[in-house]
Amino acid sequence: MKALQDIYQCVVDGEMDEVEGLIDEALSAGCTAKEILDDGLLAGMAEVGEQFKVGDMFVPEVLVAAKTMDIGMTKIKPMLQSGDIKEVGTVLFATVKGDLHDIGKKLVCMMLEGAGYKIIDLGVDVSPEAVCEGVKEYKPDLVGLSAMLTTTTLSMKETADALKQAGLYDSVRIMVGGAPVNQKIADEFGGHYSTNASTAVELANELMK
Amino acid sequence: MGKELLFQTLRHEQAERTPWVPFAGVHAGKLVGYTAEEILKDEDKLLTALQEVNKIYTPDGMPVVFDLQIEAEVLGCELLWARDNPPSVRSHPLSGTKEIPGKIPTAEDGRLPMILRTMGRLKDTVGADTALYGLVCGPFTLASHLRGSDIFMDMATDQDYVRDLVGYCAKVCTAVTQMYIDAGMDVIAVVDPLVSQISPKHFTKMLHESFTAVFDHIRAAGVFSSFFVCGNATRQIEVMCRTGPDCISVDENVELKAAKEVTDRYNIAIGGNIPLTTTMLHGTQQDNMKCVLDILDVAGGKNLIVSPGCDMPYDVPIENTVAAAQAVRNPDSARKMLENYVAAEEEDIPVELPDYGHLDKVLVELFLLDPAQCAACTYMLAAMEDVYDEVKDIAEYCSYKYTVKKDIARIKKMGVANLPSMYINGKLAYSSIIPSRAELIASIRSAAQKG
Repeated sequence: MKALQDIYQCVVDGEMDEVEGLIDEALSAGCTAKEILDDGLLAGMAEVGEQFKVGDMFVPEVLVAAKTMDIGMTKIKPMLQSGDIKEVGTVLFATVKGDLHDIGKKLVCMMLEGAGYKIIDLGVDVSPEAVCEGVKEYKPDLVGLSAMLTTTTLSMKETADALKQAGLYDSVRIMVGGAPVNQKIADEFGGHYSTNASTAVELANELMK
Repeated sequence: MGKELLFQTLRHEQAERTPWVPFAGVHAGKLVGYTAEEILKDEDKLLTALQEVNKIYTPDGMPVVFDLQIEAEVLGCELLWARDNPPSVRSHPLSGTKEIPGKIPTAEDGRLPMILRTMGRLKDTVGADTALYGLVCGPFTLASHLRGSDIFMDMATDQDYVRDLVGYCAKVCTAVTQMYIDAGMDVIAVVDPLVSQISPKHFTKMLHESFTAVFDHIRAAGVFSSFFVCGNATRQIEVMCRTGPDCISVDENVELKAAKEVTDRYNIAIGGNIPLTTTMLHGTQQDNMKCVLDILDVAGGKNLIVSPGCDMPYDVPIENTVAAAQAVRNPDSARKMLENYVAAEEEDIPVELPDYGHLDKVLVELFLLDPAQCAACTYMLAAMEDVYDEVKDIAEYCSYKYTVKKDIARIKKMGVANLPSMYINGKLAYSSIIPSRAELIASIRSAAQKG
């Protein structure tokens, strides 16, 4: 339907000022809130992920697309029935201790949110103990750890070790990412690596199976 | 002279060989046992570390400081210091305001006085043969330090503001550039890792003018320029070329051959791109040699500089950089070494090791790459030759080279991981680090007493 296609395109283009009007039009045309969510907003965000993965979209475009989706979500949320929003899983995110970089992690959070995940972001420079506390409190399915420095990749292993010590390691699966990270580093503590924000969604879906 | 080779490349002429510019930023500290924070704050420690880089890695060009937070610190960003990384920006003074600051740094601000003095002293000691790079934080990355990650959203919502903020940062960049030129820098590198994160369209709309102004200034001042980027900047190379630098430097996320086809169209040199983590930090000496040879094979000829992808991690094994240097300076010899390495494995050459526990004299064994090309190897051999007269009654020495197949077999049998290394009575005594005369004599005497 054209109205849903317009919302989809609006998210891809990051037209923040237009999404609410387009949702009104779609509702007038008889679309349900669930259709708007699935075939407009989330489908648009999935396309953003694809374009980011192949290098056709960049950080500012992704941010503005995510913001557009957010505005749309806020508008249709009261209209959704219980069960319309299927939460795929919960992911607890942190940039590890000693590291202040957050752009990459933010992108991953947005992409996963767009794919239906509930996100808890503990911020930057997060100690292993704080990650353990977060896992206890929020009981996530996945823990996402980000590092941008070669040395802070060591904090990833420390975090995994802390989770083991606290007896929480087996209750979650660990995803890792960041410029100096690779699968070899992840293997040292049983982590799972994705190269970018977009493939992080694929990885999370795989881990949730 | 190495410096002239680099200049020829930056003038886009054919040089006798490809120049080598190792980006030993914080890694310089490792060579002399100082932390990142020590060399980024202390003039004497920084100078000592840089002189060691010059001695061991024999660069044609080298950076003085690789720290993109110097300008940000002057402009009010708080820093988080680390033992083995450059500092990170902890606070962004413009995160809650769209005000455009007016402050332009002077030579008295922040760490600039220390850096400028180090530049002058390094110029006096190694500047005749080695080109020195002054690294400035690029205007876009500086804008992100000041504004935080909101700058990305601003690009979508308020392009005039971004243009103005980046324009201000370009003025800061130009001011610092001029200080570095006055301190004797031969090349100014404008380092802007974040450029890879935005579209070519946004770059052209909001950044092109500012970057072009900086490169015009550098050219008018009569020195060379380079535009450093990190990350997958494949799509941005062309718009970067249009800002007019003499060189573009990329990391391993960029496919060098394809990128060079673009830079060649603009007759701009390209630098790169030994992978920092997989090859330099975690790879072997053979990996590093092979990587350099691959770079030369796909992008060799004029307009190429061999460099690490970006600032080398602190803990890169010294031997790996030595191996990379060897391969750039003498690719034929490195090729031969790699062939020998494979052949020695295939041929299974028999090696008989001495009975180290029952030797008449202390046996010092030196395992070297190619002493004619590898500076660290030359120094290690010279260190032993120098003390030999004094210890010849109690010790003897011999050397093995990577250029000789049967020597490689011995190196493998001994389990020597890195070259150059010095073994005393079959035990590793020094790896890459060259002992002082007194240290070496003491080590040999101590081994004699134990024997």
